[in-house]
Amino acid sequence: MLLRTLVVGALFAGGTAWAQEVVTPLQPLEVNPAQAELGKRLFYDTRLSGDTSLSCSSCHQADKAFTDGEALSQAYTGGAHFRNAPTLANTGYRAAWLHDGKLGTNLNDVTREMITETHLMNMDMRIMQERLKQDPVYIEMFKVAGFGEPSNGGARNALQAFLKTIVSRNAPVDTGEMSAAAQRGRGIFDGKGQCSTCHAGERFTDDQPHNTGVPNNPDIWSDPERHSVFVSYAKFMGVENYMNLREDLGAYVRTHEKATKRTFLTPSLRELTYTAPYMHNGMIATLEDVVDFYDVGGGDDVNKDRILQPLGLKPSEKGDLVAFLQALSGASFETEAYVWPDDSFDYQVIEDWRNVNN
Amino acid sequence: MKRITPFIAGLAVLGASAAFADSDGSAQLAPLGSPPIPADNPMTPEKIALGEMLFFDPILSGNYAMPCSSCHLPDAGWAVQDKISFGYPGTTHWRNSQTIINSAYYGKLFWAGSAGSLEHQARSAARGGVAGNGEDDMMEARLAFVPQYREAFAEVFGDDWPNIRHAYDAIAAYERTLVQTDTPFDNYLRGDEAALTEQQQRGLDVFTGKGNCVTCHNGPMLTNEAYYNLGVPPFDGWEDDPIAQITYRFELYGKGSTEAMYRSTKDDPGLYFRTKQGVDKGKFRVPSLRYTKYTYPYMHNGMLETLRDVVEFYNDGGGENEFSKNKTELMKPLGLSDGEMDDLVAFLDSLSGEEILPEEPELPMMQPFPAALK
Repeated sequence: MLLRTLVVGALFAGGTAWAQEVVTPLQPLEVNPAQAELGKRLFYDTRLSGDTSLSCSSCHQADKAFTDGEALSQAYTGGAHFRNAPTLANTGYRAAWLHDGKLGTNLNDVTREMITETHLMNMDMRIMQERLKQDPVYIEMFKVAGFGEPSNGGARNALQAFLKTIVSRNAPVDTGEMSAAAQRGRGIFDGKGQCSTCHAGERFTDDQPHNTGVPNNPDIWSDPERHSVFVSYAKFMGVENYMNLREDLGAYVRTHEKATKRTFLTPSLRELTYTAPYMHNGMIATLEDVVDFYDVGGGDDVNKDRILQPLGLKPSEKGDLVAFLQALSGASFETEAYVWPDDSFDYQVIEDWRNVNN
Repeated sequence: MKRITPFIAGLAVLGASAAFADSDGSAQLAPLGSPPIPADNPMTPEKIALGEMLFFDPILSGNYAMPCSSCHLPDAGWAVQDKISFGYPGTTHWRNSQTIINSAYYGKLFWAGSAGSLEHQARSAARGGVAGNGEDDMMEARLAFVPQYREAFAEVFGDDWPNIRHAYDAIAAYERTLVQTDTPFDNYLRGDEAALTEQQQRGLDVFTGKGNCVTCHNGPMLTNEAYYNLGVPPFDGWEDDPIAQITYRFELYGKGSTEAMYRSTKDDPGLYFRTKQGVDKGKFRVPSLRYTKYTYPYMHNGMLETLRDVVEFYNDGGGENEFSKNKTELMKPLGLSDGEMDDLVAFLDSLSGEEILPEEPELPMMQPFPAALK
């Protein structure tokens, strides 16, 4: 399905009148532009973290399709994350979030979790709300967005609006401008490679957890700060024997069913050229390596999905497959629509404080 | 409930009766004895040593950077020598940091008495959004990665893995060793008449007599631990510091205010947040006067800079704030002369001994875990 959508930039802000034809894989989500603009500023504001050290954009960088280029993401000060930062491209179309699918409700819960979770932004939202009210830019933007005075609920709604605008655009697979190699690769993808068994649909994912035998990342266990974040996560999720775990159990943390150990949600394959390294723990560095990994039938795990079998791909077929995977990446998100243009995130003193309402 | 072992009574009666048998109000003063030790958190040298490390270790905070000692600095009177305590990075606090010295004797902790024990206080401070901003699960997980803590928690508490509640127990035990019972005033009450200068003795007379200080500042700790509004002016940082304005509104909101109260209140409602009674707005717990030589500035918001300023504030009958209708009637102009005020300040100095400046402990570090135990 090809969707040719006329996106008018003036909707987004800046007032610059531009218009261009954009091809998106999915029907764009309905978004109030003023709310999305507000969400964009919030996305880049470190004051949404407890010690003002992190913004959403710290781990979700526009030039990397909203990932961070690290195998394992950073985390809140004093810790480090035990997973790879996922792309936010097309995140508004997901039904569940986090590599283990722990968040299965809606983007509102996702934004709340990211902001308040101890090892992420560790923000007491009551303080956040008062921070927002101390910034005249927000006071105006919340008003324009129809949220009234700055509030946590409004902030989360605005962030959701912004997230919904992060949609893949102009990928060769959608524009029909694929190279011959990529077109051959598509044949492998759907045929001999069997990739489309799980990587199906417009986002190239079945949104289901699978075990592919991705190797354990030893860097989680060699760094006590990173490991301690994992411990608190596993403990919170009620995983037994969490002090002795030396492996990420994936969706098991929410199901507590053995068969789901080390299963992770199939990731979307869109924007892969921006999002290396790959897999839930960044253990595979390049797309060539990923193809090799599947060609030998994935990794080694008792719970590995039986669908994974050696593929016997020829070198030329692997090259074609990589070319197709590359064709699933669209235009960079490092544009005005997705990057807050300045870094002036200042508080302003409230004058005549005693005589104005809080 | 904690059962408190009373230690103080005997000494108190002896000292006070000897020195002031016939002086008005003086029988209400007494030297400081040993602190009460709760029955459910007995003291052992190993627990105290563990608590000492944890007091100075940033591991008990959200960002691994804010130990207890960051706002209770030993060389700043075990407090912060500024009006308002430092807050967590990105924030500021909204009240004056209180000294740890002799905190063991208080029945309730914090300016409005919101913590019923040192154990509870330590936990609240480690977790509060403008203090440690830590979360128990995370801090507990970190402790498990420190071999020395694994050993110490096992030895002291029998923990398989360090239990965060026990960390607060150990800190409280350590704090119960941070006491000062041999100030010049204590020595004087115990019979050493030369322990106070003549001026200080005159100041003591003002304290117990014309100054009426002893009405609230009595007992071995020189506090009745009751709550009063004295008309201390609001913290002036709220006028011009945007981060202070943020914290102020957060506290109003977070501690429970009606919409109207949140919108219009411009000062710290204090005890109100515990009782939710309008008559308690602006009331704070009478602080001990011990160790005050090192704990400037004074009052719950540090708005009085020196002890002389404090004495003058009382001599004027206190001040005004937006909760002044709750101001205690005990506050009346005293009519003290300059000389009497000098004497009183000199006496207050006798309530502090030498500065307590121990060598800070070496802190153990997190280490990778050994391989998994199957």
